[in-house]
Amino acid sequence: MSGRPQGLPIEVGGLTKRFGHVRAVEDLSFTVRPGVVTGFLGPNGAGKTTTMRMVLGLVAPTAGTATIGGKRYADLPRPSATVGAVLDASAVHPGHSARDHLHIYRTMGGHPPERVDRLLTRLGLDRAADRRTRTFSTGMRQRLGLATALLGDPRVLLLDEPGNGLDPEGIAWLRGLLRGLAAEGRTVLVSSHVLSEVQQIVDDVVVIREGRLVAAGPLAEIERLSPGTVLVRSPDAAALRTALLRGTARGGAADRVDLMPDGTLCVYGLADSAVADLAAAEQLRVYGLSAGTSLEQLFLRLAGDGAPAGLDRPSALTDEGRNRR
Amino acid sequence: MNALIKAEFRRLAATRLWLWALLAAVVLGGGMVGAVTLVGPENFDRPAPGLDTEDGVRSVLGMLSFTVFLPAALGTLAMTGEYRHRTVTYTFLHAPRRRQVLTAKLVAYGVAGLAYGLVLTGTAGAAFFGGAAARGVTPGMATGEVLELLLRPALAMAVYTLLGVAAGALIRHQVAALAVVVGYLYAGEFLLMTIPGVKLLYPLLPGGATAALTGFDYAADTMAAELATGPVPLLSPVGGGLLLTGYALAAAFVAVLVPMRRDVY
Repeated sequence: MSGRPQGLPIEVGGLTKRFGHVRAVEDLSFTVRPGVVTGFLGPNGAGKTTTMRMVLGLVAPTAGTATIGGKRYADLPRPSATVGAVLDASAVHPGHSARDHLHIYRTMGGHPPERVDRLLTRLGLDRAADRRTRTFSTGMRQRLGLATALLGDPRVLLLDEPGNGLDPEGIAWLRGLLRGLAAEGRTVLVSSHVLSEVQQIVDDVVVIREGRLVAAGPLAEIERLSPGTVLVRSPDAAALRTALLRGTARGGAADRVDLMPDGTLCVYGLADSAVADLAAAEQLRVYGLSAGTSLEQLFLRLAGDGAPAGLDRPSALTDEGRNRR
Repeated sequence: MNALIKAEFRRLAATRLWLWALLAAVVLGGGMVGAVTLVGPENFDRPAPGLDTEDGVRSVLGMLSFTVFLPAALGTLAMTGEYRHRTVTYTFLHAPRRRQVLTAKLVAYGVAGLAYGLVLTGTAGAAFFGGAAARGVTPGMATGEVLELLLRPALAMAVYTLLGVAAGALIRHQVAALAVVVGYLYAGEFLLMTIPGVKLLYPLLPGGATAALTGFDYAADTMAAELATGPVPLLSPVGGGLLLTGYALAAAFVAVLVPMRRDVY
């Protein structure tokens, strides 16, 4: 990539999509800033894909607007030179080679031919360039999708679950690539339903659930504003929960203890050492104990079926509280 | 717009489909006409007029028009493949004005269909004249007329490719679109004819327009025989060609208005 591309903000305002009575996205508003990686988080079915497709003009919103640098996608003069997107890595003709695929869209977007070879090399596809894509692994398809998105050297990138199908090595590589692209000043929005996949690289997050905004803002701010939790794995979870809520004279009691769907206890209002001491005093077994971040806690709750209880406190997260359920 | 057309040609060249189409054109054109010419219609189980008669030449070359389903199917495949392989997402990302996407496909596949038609009828013509010369038969039709009879199905192939693309844009589902296009060509219109009165519309239906364009009218002849009525008057070749093109453009227009505007997932 040459020079320092000026990123453009993605602005979503009052975006709504209904399918009959089903509300896929409901009055969603957020802004994605350039120069950082923004994680677009939420459980499966939260409306992330629909939102991204509305931003890209592939799905028509029922109401609201989505703009990139102030323009609707369809109004961008050469959209692929401004915005690149990876939405569905399997969307390749099985009979085309990677090189053919890239040349088709390179031609369509009016980008120079040498981009194809540069991207094939950059994304590690040069040796597979002339193989038909039906022989590609999921990881290779993801790379080809990224190469297609980067054909026009775009200032804005939207990636829908790019980590799907990547091995740990591939995920590490992807993180490096996205960080690099953001460091060049580009706007990078990357969706995921797996927090750990993006947690290390995102600067900002937009969290949605059932089509509504739950939280948006810089990750650091969210971490600062929201008190941490302690996650405990114990075969004596029920007894431990009672003990934690009762507390001891010395260490105090937990404000609240939730049993997560996976059997983990999520403890509010106690330090990790206090939780460990209490378990020892009560002679209850603990197999694992970790201090969770507020985002992890938020995410665990979203993935479960409970209401995002950690967000009941107005101090948590941003001022988007009106959008919470 | 030019970039989109170029990209469509690249897309066409990227799979082996064009190679199969080329092979089909040579087999159905040169192969089929060559074989019939060498055997001679007068030697069939049910002897038909020989090549030294005008009717004989007409029926041998007329066989070409039976193969219009092939370019129609190719056009349908080309369009519906975008939905089947979900590449339509990338296509609409690069060209958000969906009308232009369909226009580019119509232009590219119109040219490809014409090339197919010219290979088909070119090899057919070569086989016809070669076969007739080998058997020492003088064709019962002037060479200029034979060439015209060959050019007309070539144009029909181009128009049918357009019809296929437009039908694919309308129906989107690959198998359904193929079934509708091929099914209509081979059964649908005959069934329509069984409805009283519809027969009068035949010249204006795709089959009648095709017959007018190609100059070979199996359906009308059969019907005239079965119904013991006089032959149904057809449009002029140019009129038939324009009407067929009109069908393709009308289908494309409706496709742009409704199915192509739908959300893409």
